[in-house]
Amino acid sequence: MNALPENGLRAVLEARGISRRQFVKFCSLMTATMALPPRYVHAVVKALDKTTRPTLVWLEFQDCAGNSESMLRSGHPGVGDFVLELLSWEYHELIMAGAGHHAEDALDRVVRDLKGEYICVVEGAIPTADGGVYCTIGGKTALDIATRVCRGAAINIAVGACAWDGGLVKSNPNPTGALGLHEAVPGLTNLINLGGCPHNPVNTAAVLVHYLTFHDLPALDQYNRPLFAYGDIIHDQCERRAHYDAGRYVEEWGDEGARKGWCLYKMGCKGPEATFNCPTVRWNGGTSWPVKSGHGCIACASPRFWDTKSPFYNRLPKVPGFGVDVLAEEIGWVGTAAVGAAMLAQVAGNIVRDKIRPKPEPAPEDKPSQSADA
Amino acid sequence: MKQIKRDEGHDISWKDPAPGQVRVYVWEWPIRFSHWVMVLSIVSLSITGYYMHAPYVAAAGRTAYVMGTMRFVHIVSAFAFSLAIAIRIFWFFFANRWGHWNQYIPTTKKRLANLSAVGKYYAFMAWSPVRYIGHNPMAGAAYAVVYAMAIVEIITGFTLYAQILGNKFLLFLFGWIPRIIDIQWLREIHFLIMFGFWMFFIHHIYTAILVSVEEQDGLMDSIFSGYKFVTKHELQDDLAVQELEPDPIPAPAKPAADRPSKAA
Repeated sequence: MNALPENGLRAVLEARGISRRQFVKFCSLMTATMALPPRYVHAVVKALDKTTRPTLVWLEFQDCAGNSESMLRSGHPGVGDFVLELLSWEYHELIMAGAGHHAEDALDRVVRDLKGEYICVVEGAIPTADGGVYCTIGGKTALDIATRVCRGAAINIAVGACAWDGGLVKSNPNPTGALGLHEAVPGLTNLINLGGCPHNPVNTAAVLVHYLTFHDLPALDQYNRPLFAYGDIIHDQCERRAHYDAGRYVEEWGDEGARKGWCLYKMGCKGPEATFNCPTVRWNGGTSWPVKSGHGCIACASPRFWDTKSPFYNRLPKVPGFGVDVLAEEIGWVGTAAVGAAMLAQVAGNIVRDKIRPKPEPAPEDKPSQSADA
Repeated sequence: MKQIKRDEGHDISWKDPAPGQVRVYVWEWPIRFSHWVMVLSIVSLSITGYYMHAPYVAAAGRTAYVMGTMRFVHIVSAFAFSLAIAIRIFWFFFANRWGHWNQYIPTTKKRLANLSAVGKYYAFMAWSPVRYIGHNPMAGAAYAVVYAMAIVEIITGFTLYAQILGNKFLLFLFGWIPRIIDIQWLREIHFLIMFGFWMFFIHHIYTAILVSVEEQDGLMDSIFSGYKFVTKHELQDDLAVQELEPDPIPAPAKPAADRPSKAA
């Protein structure tokens, strides 16, 4: 299963209608995505030419298959086409031909025979409530499968928000007790998280290519995310940034600013608080990304973004305990006005007190401190 | 003021006060300096910060740089504000008795009792205010809350700044905070506390005028000059000193006769 088909990667790619030129372009894209200097293209091409096609298993738990779809429909030829040939995909529920026992046997065989050699990609959150009954495959819970497969993998890649930190599934109120991979299977040292809803397939391919080329994970941040993809703020890479600094904002959908491509800050764009390489890598073969197409960023690659970055169309979260329609500034203004009103009432009260204050010079006040004064 | 005089309970500068009054140097220069830096920076931080939350100025022309300018002013003001707070906190430990930290956090039962006495005045349950040379206990406690708010503003502000700047040192200091509280909630806190400053601002101006009128001790002038005018016996029987004397706790181990003589 590890054996490369006799005709090699080049022939396999050509059989799929992918030219050598397109392959080298893919290698250049990967090198650029990994933020490596151009001279590494050569190393990447050489390494991929000689790849021994390590085994990859793709586990799907509580997910919408959006990350798989994102990978498979990323363009033509998409990065998915290359990645499918660079690695030996032994298990991926969405695209595998086998079903039932055949499929499970394939997974079992990989875990048994290739311990510490295979790459494990996890998509979707892992439920833990009620014994994990909310996601079972072949009679086993997601937690069991993840623990068994991930513990034996050479590297684990959690793709998408759900596999990283629970994503939509873990968002409040989280009825299934869903967890991200690093929480469900704690202590995985060879884990790399690729948050995003969905993950960007270019980044995932770059991580795989990095592993195939250097046999190591790229530099990671505090959340085990690759720095090349999650190291920069979206706002700093945004093509609408100049409008932000100038002070030109879209005030409502479809207004003049929206037509002219002004900054979406006032529409609740979360670009200033999100880190991702979305603006540079983009989607669908580098065609566009949400802000370019006129919608604010929702910070889908940020931790727990469903809970922390919503409402997506407001600048700041709703203050808890004040109802869904009350903005933070409304609370602030009302509070300030209330203090102002209280002070005016004090002024009135003091005028009255001055008028009716008894005049006599011995001050028989009810305070203990007054005696020291008098 | 000189250190020795402070301990004598005698820190008076005689210029020509009204008959029966003495001129007391209450607010030393670090207090006045940090106060006015705080005032100016809070005003500029509020104006620019509110714009950064909800841009209210329409940008005109092709060379507009409104948000950029606002952010620049905000950041510069933030450093000034942080510096002022740092000076003031430093001075909490070296100020004269009216600027010392224990005037802000009530530490004794007497001061707590007087805090409620001041509260009675504001609740119209007393005819006249409790006279203090420095801060009354309620004012002091209010300022303690304001300083706490300022510290939260500084911490959240620098955390946001560290995220934007990506500076290694700032991220080392503040980078752990967004892991506990999400950056959006830090923004929310940072924004809401601004209104806390506005509420305090209204209250502060009001009480300053009120007490200045009621006590006629030159309170308003004192934040410019540092001096207040009080009667001699008021200075001699300063509540700020009396309150800090240890609470008369019935100590069973010691002879009971020892205590009252010491207090007297």
